[in-house]
Amino acid sequence: MNEFLEHGLNQNRRKFLSKMSLGIGGLALGSLMVPGLFDASNEEELFANVLPHFAPKAKRVIYLFQNGAPSQLDLYDYKPMLQKMHGQDLPASIRNGQRLTGMTANQAKFPLAGTKFNFAQHGANGGWFSESIPHIASMSDELCIIRSMYTEAINHDPALTFFQTGAQVGNRPSMGSWVSYGLGSENKNLPAFCVLLSKGKGNGQGVYSKLWNNGFLDSIHQGVQFSSGEEPVKYLSDPEFIDRGDKRKILDEIASLNQEAYNNIGDPEIVTKIQQYELAYRMQMAVPEITSLQNEPESIVKMYGPECLAPGTYAANCLLARKLSENGVRFVQLYHQGWDSHGNLPAEIVGQCKDVDRPSAALIKDLKQRGLLDETLIIWGGEFGRTNYCQGALTKDNYGRDHHPRAFTIWMAGGGVKPGVFGETDDFGYNINSLPVHVHDFHATVMHLMGIDHERFTFKHQGRRYRLTDVAGKVVNEIIS
Amino acid sequence: MDIKKLSQWGEWSVWFLNPLLLLLAIYSETSKTNDVLLWFGKLHPLVLHFPIVIGIAIVIYFIFFQKNKLEENTEKLILVGNALIASIVAILGLLLSKQDAYDTATLNLHKWGGLSIALISWLLIYTKNISTGYKKIMGLGYLLVLLFFTHQGALLTHGENALSIPAPAIVKAEEVKTVDSSLSVYEKAVAPILTQKCVGCHGPEKVKGKLQLQSPELILKGGKDGNILTSFHNGEALLLQRIHLPNADEKHMPPDGKLQLTLEELTLLNKWVKAGGNFTKKISELAKTDSLAILAMAYKAPAKGNGDTKNTAPDLKEYNSSYLTVNYLFNGSEEIAVNFFQGSFYKKEQLTNLLKIKDKIVSLNMQGMPVTKEDLASIVQFTHLKKLNLNYTKLALVDLEPLKNIPSLINLSICGIEVNQNSLTTLLDKSPFTEIHIWTNHSNEKEFEQLTAKHKKVKIIIGDNLDTEIIKLTSPIIEQDSSIIVTSLEIGVKHFLKGTVVRYTIDGTEPDSLSSPIYSKKLHFTKNTVLKTKAFKPGWLSSDIVQKTFYKSEIHPDTIYFVTNPDKKYPGTGAKTLTDYELGEQNFSNGKWLAYRDTTMKFVIGFKQARPLHEAHFNAFVDNGAYIFPILSIMIEGSNDGKQFKKLNEAKFPSLEKTEVVRENKSFSCTIPGEAAYKYYRFTLLNLKKLPKWHPGKGTPAWIFVDELFLN
Repeated sequence: MNEFLEHGLNQNRRKFLSKMSLGIGGLALGSLMVPGLFDASNEEELFANVLPHFAPKAKRVIYLFQNGAPSQLDLYDYKPMLQKMHGQDLPASIRNGQRLTGMTANQAKFPLAGTKFNFAQHGANGGWFSESIPHIASMSDELCIIRSMYTEAINHDPALTFFQTGAQVGNRPSMGSWVSYGLGSENKNLPAFCVLLSKGKGNGQGVYSKLWNNGFLDSIHQGVQFSSGEEPVKYLSDPEFIDRGDKRKILDEIASLNQEAYNNIGDPEIVTKIQQYELAYRMQMAVPEITSLQNEPESIVKMYGPECLAPGTYAANCLLARKLSENGVRFVQLYHQGWDSHGNLPAEIVGQCKDVDRPSAALIKDLKQRGLLDETLIIWGGEFGRTNYCQGALTKDNYGRDHHPRAFTIWMAGGGVKPGVFGETDDFGYNINSLPVHVHDFHATVMHLMGIDHERFTFKHQGRRYRLTDVAGKVVNEIIS
Repeated sequence: MDIKKLSQWGEWSVWFLNPLLLLLAIYSETSKTNDVLLWFGKLHPLVLHFPIVIGIAIVIYFIFFQKNKLEENTEKLILVGNALIASIVAILGLLLSKQDAYDTATLNLHKWGGLSIALISWLLIYTKNISTGYKKIMGLGYLLVLLFFTHQGALLTHGENALSIPAPAIVKAEEVKTVDSSLSVYEKAVAPILTQKCVGCHGPEKVKGKLQLQSPELILKGGKDGNILTSFHNGEALLLQRIHLPNADEKHMPPDGKLQLTLEELTLLNKWVKAGGNFTKKISELAKTDSLAILAMAYKAPAKGNGDTKNTAPDLKEYNSSYLTVNYLFNGSEEIAVNFFQGSFYKKEQLTNLLKIKDKIVSLNMQGMPVTKEDLASIVQFTHLKKLNLNYTKLALVDLEPLKNIPSLINLSICGIEVNQNSLTTLLDKSPFTEIHIWTNHSNEKEFEQLTAKHKKVKIIIGDNLDTEIIKLTSPIIEQDSSIIVTSLEIGVKHFLKGTVVRYTIDGTEPDSLSSPIYSKKLHFTKNTVLKTKAFKPGWLSSDIVQKTFYKSEIHPDTIYFVTNPDKKYPGTGAKTLTDYELGEQNFSNGKWLAYRDTTMKFVIGFKQARPLHEAHFNAFVDNGAYIFPILSIMIEGSNDGKQFKKLNEAKFPSLEKTEVVRENKSFSCTIPGEAAYKYYRFTLLNLKKLPKWHPGKGTPAWIFVDELFLN
């Protein structure tokens, strides 16, 4: 053997690199053998095959969000102790270092404020209800009341965002978007996630579209906001002189152009755009049929209250929510503003209750009546609770309450939840005595009811897998039937 | 061929194959591979023994023959050959692993083991210059790795007890041939369930937990925790405990990822064990109404799947359309839920098409579909249907009679279908229903109470009785955004609820239900008018009054300009804001308002021809919470040259009292006596210069907000 060959066969840098190139060749072959190996998006397709993880107890959700945080102490969590100690200072041992908002942090005193409303027990489970919500109280036997919710945020925006997206910063997908991503729409002619807004007369807090944002998920999963006017989905109707056949041709042309652009650029949002046009086209037929409230029988109108015929009211939104839900919309999100009663609470809360009491109860009745309650989950609640002490001047019959994250009440009804009263707060309604339910736990439980294991339901974004419950959350088995 | 060249080629191949192997291993769980490649996996058992033999030979060589070493090139060729074949075997193994259901834990161990064998073999090529002592240690380590992980592979193919002493002869579960009640419950239902969902791991192939379930004898023998049919730790039978654990529980059976038991199968096993777990009792020996007998008779062993959760159930794509969704209840379930949407797109072919999967459909939602009797004949063939929604389908109650032939149908919704006591009694008679949803108008509530009492087994859910409850109507809606009458203004009034009568007045009195005129066609106003409307409807309380004031504004000035400028934050659209016929409504920051605080509001209007004015009327906003107080006074001056003004009149208005909480639009007017004509009129509107003591902003000036001027 000659020396040149000998030399050539020795290990050196050049040899090493050329062998590396063989390795890269192996990688390349691998990608040919396994098509889609380097596609980032195939994760999503996989979900379609594995979800729901197990038998769902609820197929659809209607979330009646009471925006601004209703006072649990004046509606559900009856505390005679507060009435007894009306005007006395909140013991420091109870407050136990809880941070306060800028609105009451500088108050010299924290006089306890007993509720001005009469409470009574309703139903077989012994739940307490204020006189201001007689209709909700009458549905007591259907309600799963959780008096031991708690959250981390003390101001509206982070608290709302936390409840809706599982994080206080506003860049994560909304709950409804997650459900849309995981389960899709039952009815292909409607978005999987719809949003309805209404406003009460009480002190209001804003709602922003980031609350129903798709975050890092594909934008097809964004919540579709229905507006309160005569035309619930804006820009849906065709311009005059364009019939559906022409429309079809236009869309087909646009789709082929978009497809071409996608082939060149590869931006997945282009595919989303094509899907969105298609959905809008199908919605043109479905939405007017579904959103028309004029043909509802008078018995339904009476049940929801006559306001339900005036677009943009909470009652109308409840009725619309039922119609969307029974037509296969996975997640209907309502927001009713006006619960932020920092002052003048007794008067404001009466107005708010008048808006929501009858329609909320009617929604349960209506779904039950139709045999749909067992597959629909209704959630009613705000972003946190309100303090047991008064904000501002406490008078004999007027008081206000500040934000309270440590304990508050929400209720659920329908799909898979056990009717009853769960969790307990202390005599001051300030701290939780039993069954604390964190916002993450709430999310985990709702996902569980939808047949989704929250720990296995992820989306990879910027190098890490995200969940609605981030790295926390336990399913609250106590409330599952 | 030159031996050196040969080993060179081999080395290159090793450098190519190992990265490929690594890649495949990492992505093997998430990726799909095509079938032809998968076939090559079958070669794994064919070649796997080579690296074991060569590997052991290398170990022996490393440990015992370092003193009489092989020729350098030969040694290298052997090492290269070993590495090459080890990586090939590992790749084939990965392909094979995707073809069949194996025990996941063992498979994983074997997979990563095989991978490490290939990688260590690769490393061994480059041990030429290592000392003898290290070589011996390496050889020993290699041997252990080799033996341990290849044994895992043996367990996969030959079962868990591959190396244990042979068990008694294994009896294959007999295929159930006939379907009649002379079979025992065990033969008809229990054995098929166990065969399909359990025997894969507790059977002849693998004997997990020392338990085999393929024959009565072996079942009775039990597993490592003893008998599975009798009480375990004073609780339920072990079998029942395990199958009822939550899916996420480690001990849940069948394990997560394997084909799960259906609800029906769970119930069946539960009832069978609780009835004593008898292997010989025939279905015919049980009472016909015994739920175990019913379940066993109805049980049909599903088509044999290969145990892979993703591929067992047939794809349902062909049944789905834009207006019809057909889906499994969840991943791994064989039960199907069907939903129809939007009646106008309903086609009966879609329903008949579903007959192909009729045995799997458990839930059918046809709410609002134009279902015919013919369609019902199809539905009746869905013999496993549990829940049926026929709300608002325009069928008659008598048409539903055939539904009673579906033995499993327990939940029926028929809202919107006319019912009365007699027809319902007939329908419920001998029916399988346990829950029925109907809508009634409660005209005969007593009868329904009797009916409920008679059919205790059935939960009859009827709507709420709202006939006796009297609710207040909502107020009518006045359909005219503008409040300004130039010459004539058309006003519509509507109410959303059908059959509501709207009455109105324009004389300031309250509308009543008798004498006030009924609104029937659009109203036309030509002068200042207060419109009050109220809705009435029998059976409802009349609504609150809704009212709106319309202002006549017949005179439009030719020019208008500020003498003092408004606050920078609320400039409106300049001086013409006052005469643009657009009111600012309740939102004072919407750009339709002019506001003054630190300066007094002064502006001039002008006409080309001198003309008299009789009345000036301002629309203002008052909100004492926002420091916006009423206008204190209006002074009007006249001039013909625009320089020398003469005072014509001044009107003063009261301020607010402490107790008042105001947030509303208010009007302020000032009259001009006489008929004197001027070209220019100057207006001075005074605001409160110091807020009263009781107000939080005491001592500071109050705002005034003005949006419109009406001239007559």
